[in-house]
Amino acid sequence: MTFYAPFCLPFILGAALMFLIVAWKWGKWLWLLPHRDKIRLLRGLPTRRTFEAVGEVVSESLLHRRIFRVNPLLGYMHMSLAFGWFLLILTGWIETVAYLGFRWVPIQGHIFFKYFATSLEHKPVFDFLMDLLLLFVLSGVALAWGKRLYSRAMGMRRTTKHVLGDRIALSALWFIFPARLLAESTTCALYGGGGFLTGGLGGWMAEHIGVMPLMTLESVAWWFYSSCLGVFFVALPFSRYMHIFTEIPLIFLRRYGVRSSEKESSYDNFQVEACSRCGICIDPCQLQSVLGINDVQSVYFLRDRRYGHLRLQVADNCLMCGRCVEKCPVNIDLNTLRLNARDRMRNVPDERRYGYFKGLDRSSGEGKVGYFAGCMTLLTPRTLTAMSTIFEAAGEEVWWADREGGVCCGRPLKLAGETDSARKMMKYNADLFRKHGITTLVTSCPICLKVFREDYDLPGVEVLHHSEYILRLIRAGRLTPERGTTRFTYHDPCELGRGSGIYDEPRAVIEAVGQLLEPASTRENALCCGSSVANTAISDGQQVQIARAVAGELEATGADVIVTACPLCKKAIGRGTKGEVRDLAEIVAGALK
Amino acid sequence: MKKRIIVIGGGVAGMQTALRLAEQGVEPVIVEKEPELGGKLRGWHVLFPSFTPAEEVLTALRRRVNESGIEVLTSAEVVGLEPRSVRLADGRELHGDSVVVATGFTLFDASIKEEYGYGIYDNVFTSADIERMFNEGRVAKADGTAPRRIAFLHCVGSRDEKVCQQHCSKVCCITGVKQAMEMKKLFPEADVFNFYMDIRMFGPGYEEMYREAQQKYNIHFVRGRISEAAPTIDGRVQIKAEDTLTGRPLRMSVDMLVLLIGMRANDDNARLAEGAGLNRASSGFMAPRDLFLGNVCSNVGGIFYAGAVTAPKSIGETLNEATAAADAAAKYAEA
Amino acid sequence: MAAINFGYTISKPRAIDLDRNNLRKSDEILREMPELQTCIGCGACTAICTAGNLTSFNFRKVHTLVRRGEYQGAYEEMNKCMLCGKCRLVCPRGINTRGVVMLIKRKLGDF
Repeated sequence: MTFYAPFCLPFILGAALMFLIVAWKWGKWLWLLPHRDKIRLLRGLPTRRTFEAVGEVVSESLLHRRIFRVNPLLGYMHMSLAFGWFLLILTGWIETVAYLGFRWVPIQGHIFFKYFATSLEHKPVFDFLMDLLLLFVLSGVALAWGKRLYSRAMGMRRTTKHVLGDRIALSALWFIFPARLLAESTTCALYGGGGFLTGGLGGWMAEHIGVMPLMTLESVAWWFYSSCLGVFFVALPFSRYMHIFTEIPLIFLRRYGVRSSEKESSYDNFQVEACSRCGICIDPCQLQSVLGINDVQSVYFLRDRRYGHLRLQVADNCLMCGRCVEKCPVNIDLNTLRLNARDRMRNVPDERRYGYFKGLDRSSGEGKVGYFAGCMTLLTPRTLTAMSTIFEAAGEEVWWADREGGVCCGRPLKLAGETDSARKMMKYNADLFRKHGITTLVTSCPICLKVFREDYDLPGVEVLHHSEYILRLIRAGRLTPERGTTRFTYHDPCELGRGSGIYDEPRAVIEAVGQLLEPASTRENALCCGSSVANTAISDGQQVQIARAVAGELEATGADVIVTACPLCKKAIGRGTKGEVRDLAEIVAGALK
Repeated sequence: MKKRIIVIGGGVAGMQTALRLAEQGVEPVIVEKEPELGGKLRGWHVLFPSFTPAEEVLTALRRRVNESGIEVLTSAEVVGLEPRSVRLADGRELHGDSVVVATGFTLFDASIKEEYGYGIYDNVFTSADIERMFNEGRVAKADGTAPRRIAFLHCVGSRDEKVCQQHCSKVCCITGVKQAMEMKKLFPEADVFNFYMDIRMFGPGYEEMYREAQQKYNIHFVRGRISEAAPTIDGRVQIKAEDTLTGRPLRMSVDMLVLLIGMRANDDNARLAEGAGLNRASSGFMAPRDLFLGNVCSNVGGIFYAGAVTAPKSIGETLNEATAAADAAAKYAEA
Repeated sequence: MAAINFGYTISKPRAIDLDRNNLRKSDEILREMPELQTCIGCGACTAICTAGNLTSFNFRKVHTLVRRGEYQGAYEEMNKCMLCGKCRLVCPRGINTRGVVMLIKRKLGDF
């Protein structure tokens, strides 16, 4: 039995080319991994992390569990295509073995088995199984077509605008399975066999079409099927479909502890090419939903970065609020990739920069607890006064790091991509903290908090946001605010919530002074105030537009007071509402007896 | 039968409109939401540029309204209007032959500009507070002592996109000059500083007054906007600005910081405009039909405007405009 | 940009010669950030600026000089900025001041 026919050629060439290119890409990326990441990989291999990775590959690359959480129909569509196709290949393999026993069969023999197996006695079980799986995949294809027409049915208001290469690959993909159905059905029409689908359609064709046209049709259909596969495979490494394979090593590397950082590395390639451009990141983006900006979302950022035509205007135009990160079904570290792209485009190491920090110390007071208000807090003196009242009420001796104005924490500069210079600020402040011997560092600014926790080297110093600190004081009985009847609603600052995982402490503090009402988008889904320091591209007017939208949602709770825990959010939301906006510290200080 | 015209608002604009209407032989009715007539002029001390007591103008207007037997409804808030009727909050409906809207403006709430510390620190005041203090005859620091150093900050809540008030409130410049001079008269030993972005002396005698403030009263004008205020240990206020004429940051401690708050559009303009199909400017003030020949008319026939409901205006301008609005409304009603 | 710049040129007593100054870069900057033209020079940005209180850095002056075609030293001056963003919060004209700093550096730097 030979397993070759001329129509197999497009498939064979396409598949060979694809495997070569993918192997070359992976090889290169792995080779170029930083040394420490290679060590992580090697050390991780013989551990249980490998098994965990396999499990994640099954649940994500095949079953697409995370997409199900976005929308069940969308999840089903992705699962039927990925898992269905995988099962088709797997079952096809088993089918070949069942028919021919364990013997070497070239790859096209497995894929086009129906074409070659006409002389063998049929095994109805496999005919049925294969048809069932084909139907499963076809249902996904049908949904994909439907999604083009009406994406809202799958919970997506907007879908990705694709580039030409993606469209070619997409078209090829859409035709693969209908072509397969047609090809197998014509073969069944001519030679019998097939399950309920191919056999049924084949029987119908045999009745209605003459033998000669059927033979021509069979030849054309198999050629078409093979060509679709070939085109798709050739396009795959260059299009978004590279994600099908790339997500697998990404999952393994991630399990071994490899991470992206503020400097680009070879690992980023795995993340960038693991993006399927599904477009789930578009809807959560407020630049899209409020401002109608359509070309900067993570999907487009990654696309531009991958093809090497990323512009600063796109890299800069992101609030880095992390709403899309929460939704990304591939768990790509979108903010870090954005950050290190900015670093590559903007970072200019300059040893002499910030020479004026030398010998600078504008701090005051003395105590084991240090308070770093943050630049923005200096512009919200009500928060500052409230913190002062709270420290006094708790009898805390406090060292004030920056009440007279201090050096910025460095995060704004880091977010702009000038990471090397930002390090200078971090070093300055860390030295200052050490010099004054504090053991606890409290800050009212979530932006500062995040950088203190993630980038500062502060052994022996516990870094707390004021929401955590205040809650501790309350729980320790050092603060006894009176619980009133005021109804509060709480806005999660991005850097505090999604950025630092602090959701419960501010809420507990609010519950201690009044009633808490949750807005429609809250916690992980909370909206961004729009004034994020990470975005240097949008205008003041656009910031206000976002603030109004956010304030509208908070006002809709019917609360008397909007509470937040970030000076920048407070300023921003204050511009969007005529109502009262307060920092957490203010409402606590106001409730002290 | 006499034509009847409803005048919404019993401030300077409303009273003058009603007086003029009565003069024209029309029957006006003033609808005022406060318990008494007078509007924002109540609580003001003296008027620029002549230092005429506000009380003088107010008393004269009230007396004339009284003498003319004009019908006045106080504590009556308007919630909706049409060219021939006005709906009140208590459900009453007034009917007339045309309506003049003279609802004026709202003072900017200085506590929104948190960085200036109004409502947080003692010794930060607004221009309205200062007028009231002058009227009450006790201008002093929070602890009751006399100030030795006073700073005025111009453009608080005006020309400021950060509080979504892009327009110039027009009269705060001259008010700042006036109050600085009054302060200096009261406390000749005190140093007075006015921090400004631009000084806009648009009216007759204003520029002369500005010059007098500089030359005769030795008031210091510093070109720079205060960026923040902070309390000092001894209860004073430390302010920071850039002295833009020297290009260097400036800081100083003052005993009193006075914020010259601007005029903003009333919040209920939006609702009134929507109900009656009236146009509003982007600033939120009502938009007249045009800025020249129809500047007291609205875009809806039978509804007219007088005074600061369309834009910040001085008392003099308001009085003039009220007369013009009354004439236009009367003409419409007679037609 | 010159590798070493001894002192900034803003205090040099010489005329800004708009007949000679090449405004091409300035025009480019204003095309990308037209709102910079709305600056009324109130100085709030400079007053609030930590770097400006510690050094001779004056954001208002630097960007005004750049708009007049006086580019020398502007990059080095802008490098004193910490990009903390307080100036953006106080600007009454709603100018994206952090964006301005980065834009001027991009247009006048070597990259």
